[in-house]
Amino acid sequence: MIFALDFFLRRMAQGLVIIVLVAMLIFTLLRVVPGDPVRTMLGPMASAEVAEQTAQKMGLRDPIPVQFAKYVGQVVTGDFGRSFVRSAQGASTGGSRGGATFDASNRAPVMGLILTAVPYSLLLAGLALGISLLISLPIGIAAGLKSGKWPDRLALYLSSIFVSLPNIWLALVLIFLVSVKGGLLPAIGYQNWTYAILPAFVLAIELSPVFIRSASVAVSSNMLEPYVAAGQIRGLSRARMILVHVLRNAMIPLLNVLGIQAIGLLLGSLFVIEYAFNYPGVGLLMINAVFQRDFPVIQAIAILACTLLVLVNILVDFAATNIDRRLQY
Amino acid sequence: MMSDAKPILQVRDLTVELRTAHAPRRVLDQVSLDVHANEVLGIIGESGSGKTVLSRALVNWVARPLEMTSGEILYRGEDLRKMPAQRMQSLRGRSIAYIGSDPTTALDPTLPIGHQIMEKLKSVEPGISNEAARKRVIHTLDAVRMPMAAKRFDDFPFQFSGGMMQRVMIVDALVTSPDLLVADNITQPLDVTVAAQILRLLKELQADYRTAILFVSSLLGMVHGIADNVLVLAGGKAVELQSVDGILTAPQHAYTRHLVREMPRIWEAAPEGRISAPAPQSDDREVILSVRDVSRVYATKDRSRLFGKQHVQAVRGVSFDVMKGDSLGIVGESGCGKSSLSRLLSRLEAPDTGEILFKGQNIATLKGRAMLKLRKGFQLLLQDPYNSIPSHMSIGRIIAEPLIIHGGLSKAEIRGKVAEVMSEVGLSSDLAGSLPVGLSAGQRQRVNIARAMVLEPELLILDETLSALDQVEQAKLLTLFERLQMRHGITYLYISHDLGMVRRVCNRVAVMYLGRIVELAGNETTFFDSGHPYTRALLSAVPAIEHRPYEASTYLLEGEPPNPINIPPGCSFRTRCPFAFDRCATVDPMLTARGKGDFAACHLAGGGMPASVAAAGTTFA
Repeated sequence: MIFALDFFLRRMAQGLVIIVLVAMLIFTLLRVVPGDPVRTMLGPMASAEVAEQTAQKMGLRDPIPVQFAKYVGQVVTGDFGRSFVRSAQGASTGGSRGGATFDASNRAPVMGLILTAVPYSLLLAGLALGISLLISLPIGIAAGLKSGKWPDRLALYLSSIFVSLPNIWLALVLIFLVSVKGGLLPAIGYQNWTYAILPAFVLAIELSPVFIRSASVAVSSNMLEPYVAAGQIRGLSRARMILVHVLRNAMIPLLNVLGIQAIGLLLGSLFVIEYAFNYPGVGLLMINAVFQRDFPVIQAIAILACTLLVLVNILVDFAATNIDRRLQY
Repeated sequence: MMSDAKPILQVRDLTVELRTAHAPRRVLDQVSLDVHANEVLGIIGESGSGKTVLSRALVNWVARPLEMTSGEILYRGEDLRKMPAQRMQSLRGRSIAYIGSDPTTALDPTLPIGHQIMEKLKSVEPGISNEAARKRVIHTLDAVRMPMAAKRFDDFPFQFSGGMMQRVMIVDALVTSPDLLVADNITQPLDVTVAAQILRLLKELQADYRTAILFVSSLLGMVHGIADNVLVLAGGKAVELQSVDGILTAPQHAYTRHLVREMPRIWEAAPEGRISAPAPQSDDREVILSVRDVSRVYATKDRSRLFGKQHVQAVRGVSFDVMKGDSLGIVGESGCGKSSLSRLLSRLEAPDTGEILFKGQNIATLKGRAMLKLRKGFQLLLQDPYNSIPSHMSIGRIIAEPLIIHGGLSKAEIRGKVAEVMSEVGLSSDLAGSLPVGLSAGQRQRVNIARAMVLEPELLILDETLSALDQVEQAKLLTLFERLQMRHGITYLYISHDLGMVRRVCNRVAVMYLGRIVELAGNETTFFDSGHPYTRALLSAVPAIEHRPYEASTYLLEGEPPNPINIPPGCSFRTRCPFAFDRCATVDPMLTARGKGDFAACHLAGGGMPASVAAAGTTFA
């Protein structure tokens, strides 16, 4: 189908520009903020001379554009470089652990680190999205169908409560009540998929208000569209109008929310929640990398997160144009 | 015509009330009527007379705050009001069909029309197979003369024009062969040519399908074309029921007589209604606006080619001059480029090519301060009185805004000017401090006029400015425009699809077709001796009860204007022209003079078309 090809080629090209810009921004900012990664690698005991030598050997003293060009050259071959601080065996190395354990040749490749962490995060994010849709779609649709009545008010109160719960607080409370006191679910680390349930639930609570709100608004505004009343006069039942037509039309704003807000929110919250649950996903990897000034890891995760966001948006827009052919993206 | 058999539908003393916080108001007051098999009953009334409520009540579609309080609606003896919902559901669509006035919003915008009609057919006739349902829908699409019916089956609602979409809704209504069709103002949003086609089509289908039709309209001319008998509604009461000819020749009720008298006339002179004060015909008048070979093309996405673009040629080489003090009407079907042209003339957009000289200066290329300064001289008035006024600003402030933008006046001077212009357009000065909320459409349009007039413009561009208003309010504003013209010597450009109004107020008329002016002539010439078949076709389609100089049988157009993306070579009107001959396919006729100040772009302008049929009581120039 020519339209699909046209669409994807055009949007991929636009997406690539965005990704390059974001990469440039992250790369520059990381090198402008205070804190020398060499210090973190070698520890406070290493002499200034050694530090300077290492930095030069690693290319950290080159002008930023030169460093960026080199980096891009690597990235296009699929090589995101090696971690500054982690050894290939998985443990953190470097000054933070004391001693001269830093071994430049034995550092872990960033891609490997990320690929190990990604499945865990995907499981967590998928579970969170699923739970959140399970909670919010019935509530949101009911609210939209009975706008102004009790389901609408229930949806409003629930979303207000959900939105005002700080995720880190909720995480701690749930760990304490469900895991420590109740012993119902495991909470810290990861051994099997049940370890993902509690953090996913926290994420779902955070996502739900957005879904509830947009589902109820989309459904109620579609119920007021003339074609709904006209359909019933044409001889179709109200139930059929809702199931076949209103829900279909209401999908479009929901998809947009999913693409733009939900995925962004999810990416942001993953960092906090994985840290709180010590869950071994990309978020935890990222948080640790930030603490340790592990530039290659931070850059790679930022670029991949940006790529993911761009891809999800392209897919969402493609789905939307297929539901409503009037849309032109 | 009327059979003695029992009527299909009997309405007895139907009363509908509007429930408000205060006392309930009667919207329909004890209305009774009968519809027999195979009869077309016209219902006529002004806006607010309860026509739409009545037609919706007949399909039991009366929602709060409206409520049916008493009376019976008997369909073959069964009262709809007492019927269980299940039974009503099966009756709707199957036996009683309803078509509303806005076909573009009647279907789900995201699904192909054929599938939606099939969905209805299958839900009304559960046993029918997919194959049979599809066949029947395509067959009915053919019956309403939908070009390429089988292909258009899979098209989406937004891919149809208003007229074609109304045909789709007629298919949707007739596909189940109902006994009774309620047609509520179905021609209202359509161009006159398309409305005339729909009317003719409905008449033919009525004969084929033998469906009784309840035809509701606010235009007597429209009802006249189709109905056997007419019921006149006024203020929710049925005041008269007569045969359609009886209504015109011997109206009984005072309201009906008023209605017949007030029908806008185009050809028969109705002296009290004529406003147009033909501008002095001296040749040395100043040319205020000169449009020279102006074009505008818009690019849209082409889904069938990789990175493809389609070029919509909205305005194609338009040239004309407007003299100071003229009222020029620009008319044509929707999509002919009228509104694109108005956007260029008011310099909301720049033309791709050509010059627009306002008092000798080319506004097509002017920019910045110089443009702003010149803008004071020409102002645009739009159609929608609601969205063109900010709702959070006081009326005085809205009117003062242009003065503030153009600057150079003290606060007191601005206040004085605003008060002056408000009284001139007939707005009470107490309104200056209040918000526009609660103003009627007519008053809002006055605010718009005041906002334009406060800059003392010399040219006003009126893009369908009066279309949203009812007949009475329209007449008042036309009088206001005339007064402003007398006092300030303003030049008007009326962009309109309302030929009756143009006949009344414009001294010159430009007819547009596919982005071009095909005829430019004085008022009398345009309406009595037009030189282009398209002008004649437009005039033949106007719903009227008058004797007209152009017979619909000779001129009525089939189909719709061709797509402005691929305009055929030669004369662009030839595909619909009843007189097209060999030369039209190769030589594109240019706008050429036929008389003093009259131009037409047709090879036959000099002769070759049938002479106009002289109408009784015409005033030939």
